[in-house]
This record gives sequence, C-alpha cells and structure tokens, in this order.
Amino acid sequence: MSEGKNVIEGLYYSKDHEWVKVESDDLVIIGITDFAQHSLHEITYVEVSEVGTTLNAGDECGLVESMKASSEIFTPLSGEVIEVNPALELSPEVVNESPYDKGWLMKMKPSNLQEEIASLMDAKAYSDYIDSL
Amino acid sequence: MTDSLERTHLFEWHKSNGDVIPFAGWEMPVRYSDIRTEHMTVRDHVGIFDTTHMRRFWITGPQSLEFLQYLTTNNVRKLSVNGGHYSTCLNEHGGTRDDLMLYRVGENEYVWVTNASNGEKIWEHLNKHASKFDVHVNDRSKEVVMIAVQGPKALALLSKLAGRDVSDLPRFSCNRIDLAGRDCYLCRTGYTGEDGGEILLLDTPFTDTGKKKAIAFWEEILKQGEEFNVTPCGLGARDSLRLEAGLVLYGHELNEDTSPIEAGIPYAVKFKVDPHYIGYDVVRSHKKEGTIRKTRIGLIMIDKGIPRQGYSILLKGENVGEVTSGGMSPILHNGIALGFVKPNIVEIDDVVEIDIKGRIRKARVSNWPFYDTDKYGDRRVE
Repeated sequence: MSEGKNVIEGLYYSKDHEWVKVESDDLVIIGITDFAQHSLHEITYVEVSEVGTTLNAGDECGLVESMKASSEIFTPLSGEVIEVNPALELSPEVVNESPYDKGWLMKMKPSNLQEEIASLMDAKAYSDYIDSL
Repeated sequence: MTDSLERTHLFEWHKSNGDVIPFAGWEMPVRYSDIRTEHMTVRDHVGIFDTTHMRRFWITGPQSLEFLQYLTTNNVRKLSVNGGHYSTCLNEHGGTRDDLMLYRVGENEYVWVTNASNGEKIWEHLNKHASKFDVHVNDRSKEVVMIAVQGPKALALLSKLAGRDVSDLPRFSCNRIDLAGRDCYLCRTGYTGEDGGEILLLDTPFTDTGKKKAIAFWEEILKQGEEFNVTPCGLGARDSLRLEAGLVLYGHELNEDTSPIEAGIPYAVKFKVDPHYIGYDVVRSHKKEGTIRKTRIGLIMIDKGIPRQGYSILLKGENVGEVTSGGMSPILHNGIALGFVKPNIVEIDDVVEIDIKGRIRKARVSNWPFYDTDKYGDRRVE
C-alpha cells in the first residue's frame, strides 16, 4: 500500500477525501482518495446508496468500515446513482488496493455538474490540502 | 498532547515496527502488519501482545485476604497460593469500578492487574481503604513488564522458553519461573479466548537498562517462536479477538452503572464470602431476585452492515437497548456485536434490528464465543 499521498491529475477532490472523474456531462465516477483509504486501513466492508437513489451534494451516500471504525461517505455532487461497483461486496479491500481505479464506489448522472464541480479541488490543490492536515 | 502520553518499556520497538496510536493515555501499537492477519495468527498459531500499559498492584500483609474480599467480588478465600481468578471491584451501587485479575503469589501476597484506563482510580480506591486493614499496597507497574502469549501454540512456545513443559500448569494459575533465563511470573490467563499465558517480567525498571532488557526479552520470544509462526499483535487484534470471544471490555460492557450480573459475568461474583464486599447487597439482589435493569446479549448480523458502539437495538420497531462493542469477525466474515437490552425480552436465536446510521438491519441474538468452540479457542478439539 502507498503512504496515502497519491493524487491523480485530472480528477476533482473534496475536503471529505472523495474524488470525482468526469466522463461526460451525464456520467461521473466517484470514489475515495488514497489518503482516505490509507487512513482507514484494512477496509472490510463498503456500502453505497442503491442504484436509482437521488442525492444532493453533501448527502451521505455510503459507509466504509475498517477493522477499527466506521466512516460515512458524502457525495460531492448532486445526481442519481446509476451504478455501484460490484467488486465491493466480495472484495472491499479493492478500495485499499486501487482507490482510483478498481476501487471506485459509484457512477452517477449529475444534475448540477458545472456549478458543483467548481467548488471541488484540482489535484494540486488537494495535494496541498492533505499536506496541510 | 503527545508529550503527556505514557509509554511502555517496549515503545521504541513498537515505534520501529508498528503503527502507534494514543490509547487510554498511552502510546500503544494498534497493529504491526494488519489486524486480521494478527487476529488469525492468534487463532491458528500464537501471537504476543505488550500489555504493560495495564497496572499491577502488589498487596501484602496479614489482612490482605480480608482487604481484598472487602474490595472484590470473587471468593478470595478460595484462592490457593499460585492460584488466580477473574474478579470485579464494585461501587456502593453495585456498578463496576473495574474488572481485574487477582493472583495469590504468596501466603499473604497478591497481585491485582487492572485496566490501564482505570489504573489511577483503582490505585486511589486501594489506598483509601488500605488504612483500615493491616496491609501494604505497592504499585509495581513501572518495574514489571507484562506480555501476553496467546494461541494454540502458546504453551509450546512458553514451554520452550521455560525449558520445561508448562502445559500442566492449571488455567488461571500464576507461578514464578524462569523464561528465557529471566525471572518471571507465568499466569495461565489471557484475553483472546485462546489458551496461553500472561508473563510478568520482574525486575525491569523503567530505565534505559530496563527498557533494553524488556526489548531483548520480547525479541527472544519472537526468535524462539519462529518455529510456531509467532507474530507480534497490536491493540486492534486484541480488541477483535476479545470481541469474537465475547469477553467484556471496561468502558464498553462494564462501567460504574453496570453490575457484573447485568454484564453477564456471574462467575466473577460470589456470595458466600466474608467479609461482604462493597456493592454486595445490590449484586446479590441482581442475581438472586432478578432485579437487573438490563442484560448483555451477543448479536450476529443477518443483513449486511457492521454494528458499532452506540447503535440502537430495536425489537418490533421499539428501541430496547444499545450496542456496546461491534465489529467484523475475521472468522465469521460477518458483523458481530455485544450489547445490552432490557431483561427478559429476547432469547438466543431471536431476531432484533440494529439502527446502523439510519439503516435498519436484522441481527440474530447469539451466545458467545461467536466462533465454533470445537474449532477455535481454548476448548477446541485437537
């Protein structure tokens, strides 16, 4: 595992340590950052809002359980959940192993993308943010 | 903040080899590798834990027995020399000040091992009452290192360290023996559900020399334990192991408002004792007249989700209690919990619900240990 400082160019980041990848105006992918998985350590269970759920930015959209604690995930964007990563149920550790790729949490059809994405950080700003913590 | 935290003799080793976190006023290792690996190594082989953060009080003097019986709930009179037992120390209302191990190591010499989080409280309690008895209490926590050796291979490892078979020493006994050439008490106790022992390494002052001795001893156990697949274990595995075994933890299942009868540890409480201990009448009523206000239950998740301390327990939609400890069982691959509900409302195998951050999820009331005792734990069938 990494030291939790890995940040990927081209993604958007929230202060709650979620990342957003914008695939198109109608499709974003959301996950938790390397920093988040590294602080949680040993993720044993992940639960994400069901497909079809409509969420507002800032809503709780799931739980990540480690051996020591339970953490809520908050969606950084408003929209409808259109897919949940099927790998999470049997292999939640995929979030530790590959937080930006195989360990994605959900795909969403955003409802207010342009406005909300502007409030998120780019890779450089997020890097500075986690260095400041 | 960090400056005020205490450290055990083994701190430098933990810092170099594990993840150190604050715990009950101490800087302690939460893990060295990962919690599940350490957990399963204890279930399958053997693990060692630094438990020096616990407090060790020596009680001596002609009235030690009366003094200890006045303060603790198990039958002190039944302790033979080199015997030990699990016990509790209560307040006037029958609530629990702490749970403890009590060992009789001489005719009038006892060792009281108490939780780190309650160390100061119990030390003051002992001193407050010691003046009424012909006893002397001595805090030897800083000069005695404590290491737990736990797992199905623990006795093989301890026998190797002792140079003789120690598996014939009875459970709960406490004997002074040399381990790896060092003067120790070997207590046949633990906090994982597995067989094994807890070592009191004597004459180990909290000095550079003492710390070096402690680290050398710890490393010697690891070296001699290689053939048994020994691993160092942190507090994370200590907690998941005790939860899976259904063992109570102070601050979770025990507190000043919970009696040992309510907490489901009746074996720590005896009534044919003289003198009567503080809290005697209340716990006697809890036991004999059923006047408990709540009772401890075990829970295994039926639905998905992990129960955690503080979550509500519901029965037919009504709030009937609360989870006090919860987590993932590495053996069951499922969420398990201990909690308290109102008395006489559920039986084993009944289905209740747990409010997991707004998600209402089903769980089954279960006995503990949560694992199959034929396959794991100290009663396993070889």
